[in-house]
Amino acid sequence: MVAVLALLLTSVSAPVRAHHVGAYVPRDNEVSANFKQIKFSAQVQKFAVALKLYEDGALRRELSRRAPTLPAGLDASIRGALTAGDGPAVEAGLMVFFAALVRDLALEADRQLADARTAPAVRVAGGSKFLEAIWRYYNLVDFTVSQRDPKAATAVRLAFEEAEGHAKAPTPAPERMRSSLTQIARILAGVIEASSLTRRNS
Amino acid sequence: MTAATWRLPPIPVLLVGVMLIACAEVGGASMVQFKLDLTRWARGIMLARPQVHGLVGVRDVDEQILDEALVKFDAGLRLFHLHAEGMGTIIIVTTMVASSVVGHGSLRRAIVLLITAGGAGYPLGYLLWSALIPFQGIARGKSVAEWLVWIPFGGAAIVAMWLLAGALAIRAIRAVAGRSRVAP
Repeated sequence: MVAVLALLLTSVSAPVRAHHVGAYVPRDNEVSANFKQIKFSAQVQKFAVALKLYEDGALRRELSRRAPTLPAGLDASIRGALTAGDGPAVEAGLMVFFAALVRDLALEADRQLADARTAPAVRVAGGSKFLEAIWRYYNLVDFTVSQRDPKAATAVRLAFEEAEGHAKAPTPAPERMRSSLTQIARILAGVIEASSLTRRNS
Repeated sequence: MTAATWRLPPIPVLLVGVMLIACAEVGGASMVQFKLDLTRWARGIMLARPQVHGLVGVRDVDEQILDEALVKFDAGLRLFHLHAEGMGTIIIVTTMVASSVVGHGSLRRAIVLLITAGGAGYPLGYLLWSALIPFQGIARGKSVAEWLVWIPFGGAAIVAMWLLAGALAIRAIRAVAGRSRVAP
């Protein structure tokens, strides 16, 4: 009897106390999922599979959509590297693409944070969402960036942490976030430029 | 305690318990059947209220915000199904225990009333939360559901359970004391 009562008490009190509303784990979007497919296929030397995943995938569609803001010939260089079975060149091409995505996100975040018509708290909340998106993409290529340009990788991470700190500050300060975001954009523009120069020279 | 002492709770209480379980089953089936339509509806409402959800107009950012809200929207429906099933059973079982073993008339009625009202109302909070997410956002919807449903109805169910536990404890102590007096 006591055991039954204890069971009943537990079953009724736990949901009341905890108000279970589920946990959310951010998922890959179709671009980041396609990136992982290509990367893992290339890592195990399955370049034909990686090429097919690239040619039919969301990453290339997004790359074509953003072509005007990306270094010229990026699509051709990634395809060429996949066809040639050149793993490091594939990684470099994909790194440039994601670095450009992050750079554009940082610039857009900066633009929205500068909009004085919106309340500072709202701007900072929006900025935090941008930071989440920036990290989701940057995290995918952080290792490749750090292999090619360790200083830039460290600087991006520091600027990101600084921006996060400003976003969590008790007093909303969109201006402080802006400086960190412009720094991220500037560093990644340098990484993209350096990679493009390397591609042209090789 | 013998089998002969078990008593049925009042018929309206049983009906509430059974209805709640039926609602849980219908809710669960509808959730599966209309998952796509519900998701489209919620997404449409959210896109029409960008400021409520903090949408910034950039797909890479907004897709994650919408995805989180839709996951929580779906979680609310699932939790309604889960809690309505559980609380329906709890209403039936605990009111049967109260009807059978609580001797004091007004205490028994209070316990049965609180368990029935609290148990039936509490799961509806999840349904309300789910419905509010597209219009009010995750946090605001949760806050409304908490203050309107979860705290009052969940509180009522907890109070009833403690009263029942207290009544059972007193009964057990009296029984033990009675046995020790009879023993040589």
